[in-house]
Formats: sequence, C-alpha cells, structure tokens
Amino acid sequence: MMSQCSAELCMLLIEDNFGELFARIFTVLQRYERLTLPRLKFYARLTDRQLHHGLSAMIQHHLIYHFTSLDDGNTYYEANPQAAYSLVRSGKILQLVENRLGEYAAQVLEAIMMLGHSSIAHLETLPELKSKKQRIPNGVHHDGIKAEGEEEVEEDSAAPNGDHAESEEPAHLHPTLKSLASHGYIHRLREAHFQSPNDNWLNASRIVASRPDVKQMKGKQQAAEIEQKAKDMVKEKTEGDLSRGLIYNGIPRGAKRKRNHGNSGSSNPAPNGTNGVNGDHVDDEVEEGNDWSDDEDDVDSIPMDSNLIVRVNYEKLDVALRNTRFLELAEQDAPSASVEIYDCLLRRIEYQTPRCRDTFEIPREGEEGEQYSVPIQLSSIVEDVDPHLDLAGCIGPMEPSTVLNRRGKRPLDDDTNGVNGDEHEDEPSGKNRAYEIDQHLSILSQPPLNLTTKHVISGLPTWRVAFRGLARKLRHLELERMIESRYGDVALRVVRVLHAKGKLDEKRLQEISLLPFKDLRQTLASMQTGGFVDLQEVPRDAQRQPSKTIYLWYYDPDRVCSSILEDTYKAMSRCLQRIKFERSRERDFLEKTERTDVKGHEEEFLSEAELEHLRNWKAKEALLLAEVSRLDDMVAVFRDY
Amino acid sequence: MASAGSQVAELASKLYDACVNEFDPDHLFYQNDFLNLKVIPKNDVALLLECTQSLVNQNLFRLLQKDGKLTWKLIDREDAEKLRNLTPDEAMVYNVIHSTERTGIWVRHIGNRTNLHKSILDRCLKSLEGKNYIKSLHNVKYPSRKMYMLAGLAPSEEVTGGAWFTDGVLDANFINSVAGYIEYTVSRKSWYEVPASDRKKRIKTASGKAEVRSDEKTYLPYPHGYTGYPTVAQITSAVNDSGITPVRLGEESIVQLLEMLCYDNKLVALGNGEWYRSLKNPEAVKANQSRKAPIEGDDLSVANKHLVKNGMTEAPCGQCPVFKLCAPGGAVSPETCEYFDPWLNNGLGF
Repeated sequence: MMSQCSAELCMLLIEDNFGELFARIFTVLQRYERLTLPRLKFYARLTDRQLHHGLSAMIQHHLIYHFTSLDDGNTYYEANPQAAYSLVRSGKILQLVENRLGEYAAQVLEAIMMLGHSSIAHLETLPELKSKKQRIPNGVHHDGIKAEGEEEVEEDSAAPNGDHAESEEPAHLHPTLKSLASHGYIHRLREAHFQSPNDNWLNASRIVASRPDVKQMKGKQQAAEIEQKAKDMVKEKTEGDLSRGLIYNGIPRGAKRKRNHGNSGSSNPAPNGTNGVNGDHVDDEVEEGNDWSDDEDDVDSIPMDSNLIVRVNYEKLDVALRNTRFLELAEQDAPSASVEIYDCLLRRIEYQTPRCRDTFEIPREGEEGEQYSVPIQLSSIVEDVDPHLDLAGCIGPMEPSTVLNRRGKRPLDDDTNGVNGDEHEDEPSGKNRAYEIDQHLSILSQPPLNLTTKHVISGLPTWRVAFRGLARKLRHLELERMIESRYGDVALRVVRVLHAKGKLDEKRLQEISLLPFKDLRQTLASMQTGGFVDLQEVPRDAQRQPSKTIYLWYYDPDRVCSSILEDTYKAMSRCLQRIKFERSRERDFLEKTERTDVKGHEEEFLSEAELEHLRNWKAKEALLLAEVSRLDDMVAVFRDY
Repeated sequence: MASAGSQVAELASKLYDACVNEFDPDHLFYQNDFLNLKVIPKNDVALLLECTQSLVNQNLFRLLQKDGKLTWKLIDREDAEKLRNLTPDEAMVYNVIHSTERTGIWVRHIGNRTNLHKSILDRCLKSLEGKNYIKSLHNVKYPSRKMYMLAGLAPSEEVTGGAWFTDGVLDANFINSVAGYIEYTVSRKSWYEVPASDRKKRIKTASGKAEVRSDEKTYLPYPHGYTGYPTVAQITSAVNDSGITPVRLGEESIVQLLEMLCYDNKLVALGNGEWYRSLKNPEAVKANQSRKAPIEGDDLSVANKHLVKNGMTEAPCGQCPVFKLCAPGGAVSPETCEYFDPWLNNGLGF
C-alpha cells in the first residue's frame, strides 16, 4: 500500500515537524500497518507513558487513525499518510489563503493547522489571534522564496509573542472563520474523521447489510444496494461542510472581489481613459483583513458556534491549488485579460467543487471519462470581472485581411476609430461586454490546451472546465519537461508521436517523426534505459527468431507517472535529509544561535561574521525547502489532481 | 502470301495509328476496342489477331493478360525502336522492369520472373544501364536490395520515402530549414501585429509593464473562429515560392512536416487539419531559432537554462546518474552526495 519512498518521506516530515517520538510511532505503524496497543508497544519499544502521550497527540494532529472493533473490543491504530504528507503543503496553502483572504485569515488557518483541529472557543483564547499582529519578516521570506510551511509552524510555535508589535484593533476572528468556512477551506470535524476511510466504509456496509430490508434482497441487487447505502452513510458521516448559508449568489463571503464596489462599474459606464491598464488597482487593494465589511454586516455580527470543532479541509485546498496551476497554464500564451476572466471562472467553479476527483486513485489513461466542472453562467462571470478590464484591446480583429489603424477598440481612441469596434465602448456594461468575455473564454477553449468548454443549457451560454482532461494534460506536461531536460527535444517529439499513435515500429516512427535513424535509435535506447519508453516484441513464428520479430515501441504515461512519482518522493526525502545533514555540520554554530538568550537578539550577541554565516545558513535551508515545495507541486500533479 | 503479309502489315500500322489517335497511351485494349475502331474489314477476328501479333512482334504492342482475357497496351514508337535493338534476353528483362513502373524491382525478382541465369541477367542489366534505358535506385524500406527501374521514371514516394529523403537517407538539414521557415510563416499569420501608431498610444497610458516592452512589437491573438490562419495549400505555395527548396514539394510532404511540427508543439492543427496556427508569436519564433544553433556542442548546463523547468529537473536528484542507488547510509547517500554542494552554491550565487 505504501511505497518505501513515500513512507520514508512521511517519516522525515513528521520527524521534522514533531520530533523523533512521533516519527518512531509512525514508522512502526507504517511498517506493520494496523496494530493494537500491546503490539505497537512491542514493536516500538517505547514506555507506556511515551506511547500514550505520543498517540494522543498524533490523533489530535490526525496523523493516526484509530478504530475500536465491535467484534473483539480491541482498538487498532493505523498511520494516516495523507495527513503526514500534507504537512509539506502547509506553506503553499497558507500562501494561497493569504493571497485570497488576507494575512489574518492565513494566521487563523495556521493556528488551526498547528493544533490539528480546534474548537472555536479555543481559538478565541489564543493570544496570537486576539489582535492583529505585525509579523516580523523572517529570514526566509524576504529572500523572495516561497514560504515554507513547516518552518513557519515551528517558528510560530516557538516564538514568544512578546515582541510582536501589537496594535489594538477589534478581532476579526469570527468573520474570518466564517469566510474560511464558506470557502470550504475549513470544515467541521466529525467523529468518522478519526477512523480510516476503509474502516468507515466497512462499518457502514456492515450496518447497511444488517438492516432487515436489505437482508431480504438477494445477489447483485443486494450488493448494489449495500454499496449505494454505505456510500451515502459514509458521506453523511464524514460531511463537514460549513459553507451552507454562507454563500450569496454563488460567491462565498469574504471573497476578494475583482470589481471595486458593488455595481459601481455599471453605474458609470463611460470609461475615462485614465485607467487604461487595469488590474493594478486590484493589486493596490491592500488586504487589511476587513474585506468582508463591504456588505452583509448583519450576518457578521452573529458569531460562529463556539462549540464547533474545525479542521483544515485539504481536499478543498487541493482544488484551489489545482486551479492556480490551470491559471498558470493560461498565462503561458493567452492575453492577460483572458487570464483575469479565467481566474473569475475558476473561482466560481472552485466554490462549487468539493474535491479534485471522486475516485481514490487516478484512473488509467484512456479509461478515464471526462468529468466536467459545474457550468457557470456567462452572466455571472460578467458580474465578477473587473468592469475596467480592457477586454477588446488584447484580441486581434476577426477579419482575415487587416487594415492598419482600424483597431480603435480602446476607449481612448473613441474619436479616431472609424468603422467597427466603437459599439464596444458605447455601452460596456451591456451585451457587448458579455460578448467580449465570451470571446476571451473562447480563446481559452482553443487547442492545444482547451482550458474551457462552452456548454449551452436551455439557451443560456455557460462555461465549464474539463477537469480530468486538464489534469491529465498537467501530468503530461510535467513528464514532457523531464524528458526534454534529460533527452532533448528530439525525444520529446518521439514521445509525443508514440503517445498519439500508440505502438509503432521503427520505420513508421521515423516516417512520422522525420528523424534520422541514428538519432532516433539513440534517443529511443536512452529513453528505454531511463524507463520512459518500452519495446514490445511480437514474434511472427513460434521460434521467436529476432529476424522474424516485429519490434514495437510504446510510451505508457501511467507507468512513467507512477515511477516518477516515486522518484519525486525520493528526491524530496533526499532534500530533507540533506538539510538534516547540513544542520549537523553546523551544529555548534546553530546551537549558539538557538540559545534562548541569543534567539531574537541575534544582532546583539553575534559578531558580524556570525550574522553573515547565519544568513547564509538560512538561505541554504530555504533553498532546499523551496526545492521540496517545488517537488511537491509535481506530486500534486501526479497524485492529487 | 507476300501480298497477304504486306496487307496485314499495312492494316496493322493503320490499326496502331488509330489506337494512338483514339486512346490515351495508358489505355488497356480489349479485343472489342479494336473492333470498334472499324479498321479491320468486316470485323474479321482472325485478321485482327494476325495484325496484333505482327504489332507485338514489332514491339509496338505489349501483350498482357487480365482476368483471363488477352489485352494489349500501346508502346511508343521510340520505345519500340529501343526494344528492337535489344537482344531477346535484354528485351525480356526490360519488359519485366517496365512492368513494375515507379516502384522498381529487386534484381532477384527479375531473375525469378525471367528464369535467366545470374551471369546473363547481370550482363543484360549492365548493357541496359549502359544504354541508359534503366537505372538502379535506392529503396528506403530495403536499403540492402539492388533495385532497378526505367531511366525515364521518377521513383515513387514509397520507394524514396517522400520528399524528405535524399538517396534514401533522411535529410535532416533540409527538413529543419523548411520546418523553420514554415513555423515562421505560419506564426506571422497567426498573430495580429499591433500597428506602430497604435502602440505609441498604448505606451502613454499603460503602466510600467507595457513600457518595458515598448520597443518590441506587440502581438495579439486572433479571436476564436478566426479563419485567416494559413491552410495547407497556402503553406505549400509559400514554401515553394520561397526558393529554399530545390524541388517542388507536394502537399502531402508539407502535411507530413506540419504534423511533425504539431508533435513539436510548435503548431496546432485547427478544424481537422484545415488550418494551422502557431503557438508562439513571430518574435519568439525568431528568438528561438537563432538561439538553437549555437547550443550544439555546448555543455548541458547551458542548454538546460532554456528549458522549461519543474521540481524534478532542477533538483540535483533529477539529474543524478546514481539516483537509483542512493540510500541513507549507503555508498551513495544524501550525506555524501557530491551534487548538493555545487547546486547549493549555484543557487545561492545569483
């Protein structure tokens, strides 16, 4: 079930975040799978005290599932590798939340992450959430390298709050929690979350099977009924959605709006030349943590139930992270306005997408049906898009023959433009705006990426995203990048041909790829050694003579993906192990900087050279951690999207 | 008898002329075709057969068999002249080679069909080649076979492998130059170039981002459903007019190349291959092509800088040759890894 590489990685992550005790328990559970307490104690060679302490804390962090069997009354413990792995993604998630909902929301989420799960009442008591604090930029952040989750967690847990500059502002805890909940980034903790999905499933099917009405059924019908009912039951038991009642018109509260205020865009339709390039005022909008005070003030005053226990919803956050990847794809060659519009579309879709896919495993290539996102009406996208966004200015004219100077579509050129295009700015709020946005979405729908798909429901144009196909494309892109860097662009062409055509012999392959035999054979051979392509022998007679055998080359992305995924885990482990090693090299020096009297007062106690050394060390660590996070991007593509 | 013979010869030449006038040279004649010409008096079949036989003897007709019926084919007078000068063995070989037309025939197959001894066959082939009646050719599919075809014919695509082969070998330089030209041509038609006057206005209003690019040309994509993208026919004629090819390229060859460019992710086929669109704008294409050349021979690290990156390609592990052996505590281990230090220094260096 667990591969060696991912087990190693999970162990390292836990050790890095929580220390050796947790890592030891976790490793034992990974190695032996389900264990009862006595067996666990036997294998882990820990004292009762250590074990109890460790287990309870790990359960709090969801690193371990436990399940008490009704048959024998034993409680079994089981490792939760997903939770262990998501430790590495925490930095990325906080970054995302900070961009979307502001710094304070990220802090709240961080606190919940640190605690594993927490009741609202407990969050209220946390000193660091009580008031807005100014965060001191630590060594990592100002380097411009992506903040790393575990580091932040460590630092914040260790750092005393005393030296944060505190300003007395009213706490935004409840509104922030609400906006997090309505986005689905946090959800309610249910008892079933402590049990492994398999246990939940077995339990549910057992209960369903023992029902009298199900017992009467027979054969296939019964099996189908049990499966259906059990599925419903598991869903009902694990459902922790908090967004109900918090979403208005398809937009969760607290969502950062692209437009300035309400409907101001449509009320003054004449764009006034000054805001030629748009988007900058979106950037200027400084997050002060009070975005949600625009509207819906009355709802804000109702605090959240303080008995509610919440935890981070990683599934939903994966959806949001996946959307950012799609957006990056769009940025590659679409005009900037299209990207903005795509962002709006993806946001809308994100709010209604609970998870990246329904099946546990990524289905095999070719066996995967297309699964579309919820369709979003064009009109609601129009509402979301910044009214000052210059839409017409970044698409070429429709007519094949282009006359110079007839592109007067920008509001500025109102007086100069002649023939067509002026109708667009006469009335930017009306139908033309919708038409232009539709045009932009159409650009995105073009091959090779097909980022969007148009779908007309009862006459209303809607847009949706073909998630499975795009996720597959992301996977292929990652593979292609690796192939290109290892074997060059010739190999890339060969692989694409093989992928499109299936199995081919050398001659056909040459005809299609138009490569000289020598180059072709060399790349194929080196790719075969690397495990990217494979050779099938089809003998024409029973003797299997090589001269009478057809050799077919093929490329199996599924197989390559899974092997690359393992390699990626391994590379991540290596980076983390290297940090450990580098740390041990610098142990004496680092111990000095971590002394309680030195920490926080480095400037006073350390010499100039030592400070320089410390900066170097931090940069080095950050570099390795950033690499881990880049590798995590790949894992996400291969495993989660 | 002599008069009968001369009458037949006269009729035969009449028949031949009528055939040349009435039908195209590749026509396959059945008995009825001759009778319909009304050259033979009273449609006398026996007389007709005599005539055709005399024409076959003069090498003006070639006797063939189709679906169990006798058929005839015309031979040019010039060719007939050639054939008449050959020895019977040579004529036989010539006919066999002639029958395969543009595909050519393997020497061993000629031997099988003519039942000639190898040394006689070789002599015949040599003399035919010397007279410039036949030529040897190189088959892409069977490079080791010695093959012959008529000297006046151009070998078929099947044999040569298409326009992209020179002497049975793929001509990589030629392909690359044509491909580069096509990519650039298509690219110019796939992006809308903002006119210079318009651009100046943009600069005035645009924020910093646009100003940086002010000296570059700005390209905009065309809207969805735009039909001005180049078609295969347009691309073909553009390539042929450009003068970069010594021979005229057919549309099939160009389609082959276009497909290759699609596999290279340079072009995209729209509307089932009707139009082609370039993914990069002309500037980028130009930059890309001028960059390509000096890379050859450079060390890999320089080349890698241009490539798209992901976590695995940039991490030292992604390129490590002994990655599979690496294990903590092993001979190759993260602790003893020699790639990390240079990588870290390189990363911190910038």
